[in-house]
Amino acid sequence: MNKVGIVSFGSYIPRYRIKIEEIAKVWDEDPIEIKAQSQINSKSVPGPDEDVATMAVESARNAISRWKGKEKDLGAIYVGSESHPYVVKPTATIVAAALDVEKSLTAADLEFACKAGTAGMQMCFGLVKSKMISLGLAIGADSSQGRPRDPLEYTVGAGSAAFLIGSENIIAELEGTYSVTTDMPDFWRREGAVYPSHGVRFTGQPAYFKHTIDSSKGLMEELGTKTSDYQHVIFHQPNAKFPQAVARMLGFSKEQVELGLICKQMGNAYSASSILGFANVLNHANPGDQILLTSYGSGAGSDSFSFTITEAIDNIRPYKYDTQYYLNQCEYIEYGKYVRFKGILR
Amino acid sequence: MEPPKIWREKRGKYLAMGVECSDCMIKQFPFTEKCSACGSENVKEYKLATTGKVLHFSTVTQTTDEMMGSTPYLIAIIELDDGIKVTGQIVDCNLNEAKEGMDVRMVFRVLARNGSEGLIRYGYKFAPI
Ligand SMILES: [Zn+2]
Repeated sequence: MNKVGIVSFGSYIPRYRIKIEEIAKVWDEDPIEIKAQSQINSKSVPGPDEDVATMAVESARNAISRWKGKEKDLGAIYVGSESHPYVVKPTATIVAAALDVEKSLTAADLEFACKAGTAGMQMCFGLVKSKMISLGLAIGADSSQGRPRDPLEYTVGAGSAAFLIGSENIIAELEGTYSVTTDMPDFWRREGAVYPSHGVRFTGQPAYFKHTIDSSKGLMEELGTKTSDYQHVIFHQPNAKFPQAVARMLGFSKEQVELGLICKQMGNAYSASSILGFANVLNHANPGDQILLTSYGSGAGSDSFSFTITEAIDNIRPYKYDTQYYLNQCEYIEYGKYVRFKGILR
Repeated sequence: MEPPKIWREKRGKYLAMGVECSDCMIKQFPFTEKCSACGSENVKEYKLATTGKVLHFSTVTQTTDEMMGSTPYLIAIIELDDGIKVTGQIVDCNLNEAKEGMDVRMVFRVLARNGSEGLIRYGYKFAPI
């Protein structure tokens, strides 16, 4: 069987952050209580001249510039997001042009709430494995919307992660992928609506937990792996509590989940959330490590992946503009500036 | 800005693609069909260096309607590592943080949005390293 896996990856998180205290001040709410609920301290905010296309391009350029292959070999680009800058006019074509890889390739924008990035990864794995293309690019990027005063306002951040998927010089070899998909009314945004709506408490048990657990278990059963086989495990991070709770329920330790848990500093970057955690793990994991990644997207579904890190990972590390670089590079802004940057003033 | 012009300028704005004359070897930006030094049409694309230094900068407070929402912002003349000088906006940098001689790198940003229904123009800007 021909091998398939990740050959390079890149991250991007905007520089601006807003602290939970700063938002709570505006609504006279108790920041200590809110932080206890989400375990998120601050969330990332895109600058006024940033959107999903710019963040997707930055993460993709990081994936390409740390890597020694030829980007002209790209046969597919998929950008998963729920905040594409246009409803009609793809983000993926902007990415193709900004990488100078126009024009003999296929491309599309994807939407599946917070798991459209991993959906793109699965599509690339399939195309590469079946030899329809030799190299694919899957990106998950979001500039998340949260209605002012909604609980989401405290947690929804922004960022992007990009993965080059191929069959040569693999840094993280794919052992298998497994998905669960059901129709679930937990979170939605109608055409033309600015902000998403959600089923508040309904978003937890039957939605996030059920899908994440069933998908992770399904993959491990299929592969015959057990929780102790994995050095690192990454789940979708709508807050820091959910992924830690789901890890506990599945039998993973705190240590296994820790490295991928980056939402404490940047919030939930929707389509980029679990895969930015995964990118952070890839920056630190050792050859031979096994990694489990499970995304979750409302509506609803989960995609699980099992990877083994190869020796080739040290060919693309260290790299200056890695996930940690963007986490470290941050400037805290006040609510007024946040309102301006998000375009809430009209 | 009309769609054909946006489309024509794409490689210059997205990729900082200039031109190199194959006769007199001079490199220029933006792209031209004809070398401005020797008049030769024997030119090819040349990708500018993506890092450089700030030579001069100033703060823009008055500008075109589509950019007024972004003011005040920093505009600078950057000397790229290949010696070519370009003008560009400095981002991820507070107005009081900009310095002459500051090292910068190209980043991909929104240049302007034509209202809420028109086209979004993208291209390079510069961020501190
Ligand atoms: Zn010439």
